[in-house]
Amino acid sequence: MSAIAAADGRKYDLHFARWVYQNVDGGDRLPLCMQCGMCSGSCPLGTAMDYGPRKLLMMIRAGMKAAVLASDTIWNCTQCYNSWLRCPRQIRVTSILQGLATVAVKEGYAPKRPTARFSRAFWFSVTHFGRTDERLVTAFYYFSCGFKEGIQRALANLPIARRMVKGKRMHLGAPHRVRRTADLRAILTKAEEIETREKVSEAGR
Amino acid sequence: MPEKKTGVYLCGGCGIAEATSLDALDAVAVKEFKVPYCRRHDFLCGEDGLRTIRDDVTAGKVNQVVIAGCSPRVNADRFRFDGAQVIRANLREQVAWTQPAGIDDTGMLAADYVRMAITEAGKSNPPLPYQEGPYSERILVVGGGISGLTAAREAALAGCEVVLVEQSDQLGGHARRWSKRMPQRPPYQAPQNNDVDRLVAAVEADPRIEVRRRSRVAKTSGGPGKFTVTLRQDGADQSIAIGAIVLATGWLPYDPSKLGHLGYGVSPDVVTSVALEEMLAAGALSRPSDGLPANTIAFIQCAGSRDPDHLPYCSSVCCGVSIKQALQIRQADRDSSVYVLYQELRTPGVAEEFYRAAQKAGVVFIKGTVKSVGADLTVIIDDALLREEVPLAGLDLVVLATGMVPNAVGMMDGAEEPSPLPADDINPLSPIAVAGYAAAAVPAPSATPQPPPTQFFAGGTPLLNLQYRQGPHLPILAQGFADSHFICFPYETRRTGIYTCGPLRRPMDMAESAEDATGAALKAIQAIRNAVEGRALHPRSGDLSFPKIGLNTCTKCRRCTVECPFGAIDETPEGFPIVNPTRCRRCGVCMGACPVRTISFDNYSVEMLTSMIKAVEVPEEDEAKPRVLVMACQNDAYPALDMAGIARSRMSPYVRTIPVRCLGSVSLLCVSEALSSGYDGIILMGCKSGDDYQCHFVTGSAVAQERLTKIAETLKSMALEKERVQMIEASIADAGRLPKILDDYMAVIDKIGPSPLKGFG
Repeated sequence: MSAIAAADGRKYDLHFARWVYQNVDGGDRLPLCMQCGMCSGSCPLGTAMDYGPRKLLMMIRAGMKAAVLASDTIWNCTQCYNSWLRCPRQIRVTSILQGLATVAVKEGYAPKRPTARFSRAFWFSVTHFGRTDERLVTAFYYFSCGFKEGIQRALANLPIARRMVKGKRMHLGAPHRVRRTADLRAILTKAEEIETREKVSEAGR
Repeated sequence: MPEKKTGVYLCGGCGIAEATSLDALDAVAVKEFKVPYCRRHDFLCGEDGLRTIRDDVTAGKVNQVVIAGCSPRVNADRFRFDGAQVIRANLREQVAWTQPAGIDDTGMLAADYVRMAITEAGKSNPPLPYQEGPYSERILVVGGGISGLTAAREAALAGCEVVLVEQSDQLGGHARRWSKRMPQRPPYQAPQNNDVDRLVAAVEADPRIEVRRRSRVAKTSGGPGKFTVTLRQDGADQSIAIGAIVLATGWLPYDPSKLGHLGYGVSPDVVTSVALEEMLAAGALSRPSDGLPANTIAFIQCAGSRDPDHLPYCSSVCCGVSIKQALQIRQADRDSSVYVLYQELRTPGVAEEFYRAAQKAGVVFIKGTVKSVGADLTVIIDDALLREEVPLAGLDLVVLATGMVPNAVGMMDGAEEPSPLPADDINPLSPIAVAGYAAAAVPAPSATPQPPPTQFFAGGTPLLNLQYRQGPHLPILAQGFADSHFICFPYETRRTGIYTCGPLRRPMDMAESAEDATGAALKAIQAIRNAVEGRALHPRSGDLSFPKIGLNTCTKCRRCTVECPFGAIDETPEGFPIVNPTRCRRCGVCMGACPVRTISFDNYSVEMLTSMIKAVEVPEEDEAKPRVLVMACQNDAYPALDMAGIARSRMSPYVRTIPVRCLGSVSLLCVSEALSSGYDGIILMGCKSGDDYQCHFVTGSAVAQERLTKIAETLKSMALEKERVQMIEASIADAGRLPKILDDYMAVIDKIGPSPLKGFG
């Protein structure tokens, strides 16, 4: 799953845009964007983004792959669904941003931003144990900032952790897990296989 | 002419009897005017009332029926009696419904309207229509494009004989070269097959349509029903009789050689949308420069349109055309990249569906302004959506979506005998040249002066080469489009019986042109029927009167021939005016223009108006009852006053209103007569004049205004204040404002005091 970019970085080279149209969930309606700006106007975090959703969608069209995937727009989206709901052309903006985030991670564009690292910690816990373990996610997240910062942050949170253990809100044993993790892994492997197969057949079509 | 037997019928219904004393009105008719016959009825428009009148008419007791009741604008169909002329006094809308009941002022107002109506009857005769044949009922259609073909076909389907004149040797016009057309049918999403061939075949197969190829109109004279048109075919002239003309000479693409700033001429790969259309019709796209396949294409919208240096207007079709062509390219080649660079995309109505279909098909729309187009086809666009200047590189083809230029002065190939455009006739802002008056410029109504129209059309052959006093050209509007009364009668030109349609009138696409042509064909048929029956066209539909000129007193001043908005009056070699009744629209502008009052209609004349003005009883100065005369245009102002009555608005009881055909028909003599009769003020109430005129006769209210500028001296010589004569522009929507406007004017009159001329009249 590699999003093609323009060979020479030309603007409005349509390879990236077409790749997004075909490979990103919700991308099929993206060509219908008429740049009205309803999404950016509705976005509660629009001001905290490099580019508002409207501009990001236009940048996809303009083939600005690097700028799109490196932008914090896709990471600052809180998935409130306002843009999707209000879009007069029924473009699934939330899905598109989510899909772009996945691509950004896979292609190494994901910025070292908290949201990206947190997502990775979350994913680790869920895929390995079938559950989110607060200690695991937190630790994974803290140490993703570097060993020293991980230690510092963990120590800073120690009093809270102590009180949580005391109040039986956190336990000290091994992480909880679903009963049959092997099955879970099988499910995930199958899902990946299906995804790949669909992509291949789509490319073949 | 039979002896006049006038009968007055007073209606007491609708509150008239309560508002005023019918006895008093009866006395006015019988004692004051010695009308032999005066009757009353409570419900004159009811069956019984109508029978009363009809019996009197049938028995030969009356042949002029004066009905004092409702407005002349209502019940005209009921108060119609064979063998009798009907004259109306408006006692309902203008008296009973606007005045308090039973007081003196109301009675005086009603009595004055009865006096006016009886006076009008005395000065009016039933009009005898002009019906001097022979008439031709054949329709000439000039131009064999979509508009012309449709007009010919529709007229033929309606049973008319048609002569279709086409300059080239092929029918179909521009559309013949189009590969596909914009969608006409739901779901309006895909380009449709060009079906112009089918239309051409239908026209060629129609026995009622005579197609003349390689022909031009060399000369046109006459009028509706009586045109003599000389057609020139392969150098040979032939004159034929024609009833009405539909002009469908279409359009020309804007000259791309003026678009160097958009790269035209820099590279052969920069083409116009017209050229692209031919390339698409020919098959797979290739680059004109080296013949390699072209699959990365940018369209530049508004190329030379909406640009003060080029065409200032939007041609409205270019967006749709580019969408169509972009879709065609995308459908033919899935790997193509198509960009549409636009400033504003204009896709009215169902065209929005088409736009959406193009987006779905992957056409990329980029909003912004094109900065430059390089020789390597790199387009630099100031991208309004990315907010940066973007170079668009790697293009195979740049398409300039150029606008439509109306072919209103025969600029097509092969134009012979170019004749300069008579600027004063064509430029709506040019001064109205009136013999005897110094030519004063009509002030431009808009703050930003329009560029002179000649900028867009340097000249050319007159399309019809009219043998009219007012020049060979059809009047042209500001941006070179052929004349049209846009507000009320879109097909109507200032040359009666000649109808324009299609892109000659305004930019339009094939479907709109076809619809327009159908309308023009219908109008042409109407024009012929009316001419044959001696009736006027709208806005005075059905009017049988026409102007008669008393040549024994004519001074050959030419004001009538110059001021006639429709070019209906020609001049004899001796310089006398000669009316073409079938061209006449009966507005009476000539009558208002004539300084010696020798132009009149059977039922409308300066003498009639002045007599009506003088029929009003003007009270003495010490009674403090002023009198204001309102000459109200029958088209908008008078209906607006009636609507104020229908709304039961209180109106000043001192106003006396006379409906006139057009303010242009008001002679200055009416104004000076009113002043010398002791009226305290005079209002001319009519339509808006100027570039955005609403005058039903185009220039009527403008000439009235022009004439009024001359009245200042008259007022001065009579030692009167200039406020005593005013012009008010009122539209039908002003009904609510008019009572207040009249009240304000009464306050002005109050302030300057009564006219010193009372009692001398």
